[in-house]
Amino acid sequence: MTISTESMDGGITRVLLDGRLDIQGAAAVDLRMNVLAGSSKFLLIDLSKVSFLGSMGLRSIIIPAQAVSRRGGKVALFSPVPMVEEVLKASRVDEIIPIFHDLDAAVAALC
Amino acid sequence: MDNPQDRFELDSQLTELSRVQPWIEALADRYGFSEDARFAMQLCVEEALANVVLHGYRSEAGHPIVMRASLSEGTLVFAIDDKAPPFAPTEPAPPNGATKPASLESIEPGGNGIRLLHRFAGSLRYERLPDGNRLTIGFPVP
Repeated sequence: MTISTESMDGGITRVLLDGRLDIQGAAAVDLRMNVLAGSSKFLLIDLSKVSFLGSMGLRSIIIPAQAVSRRGGKVALFSPVPMVEEVLKASRVDEIIPIFHDLDAAVAALC
Repeated sequence: MDNPQDRFELDSQLTELSRVQPWIEALADRYGFSEDARFAMQLCVEEALANVVLHGYRSEAGHPIVMRASLSEGTLVFAIDDKAPPFAPTEPAPPNGATKPASLESIEPGGNGIRLLHRFAGSLRYERLPDGNRLTIGFPVP
């Protein structure tokens, strides 16, 4: 599991996750995710390279998203593969953190 | 093989869980499961094992968890046995229809494991054993 970031226009931090967000993957990115949540106002979590998502991985998304929201920021999820999106929907995360497949729409929603 | 008996034993710690992944992949290869079905199998087994470690054994290492895979009536069945106090993850998942979660703050970061298990398992059965628990998770063979 790897994590990298990219600064976008509008003060958005795009977080690119790559790999399996299982228990091991979640443990590998948690610290970095929490640091990013503490320093970013608009967070776009790019899930396009995430091939697996379990409940521990959901925590790695929800807890930083809560931290950003608490400070008045916004979080969006970008381009999950269909099964990863199923997990997000089954756990109803999609109702609280919006999912976008179009980058322009995601950016517009964040700014 | 019509009735394979496969066994996998692990210790009650989360770091052990990644060892199970190749074992499941090998079984999925043997029976020709699709990518989506493999995802569901990996997800359900990870959630079930995490439940045993975190809730059954309360994160205490040194306890056995034994998994057996078998083929029964066109279904690949995983039986997960532990020796923890009674713990039935087949209790109904929290209601998932009516009201929308109010806000990001109101979402509980944990607690999704059992919901995901119910959503992605083909079948799910819990038995209390004389000295532990057995959770049986089934996936129809394609």
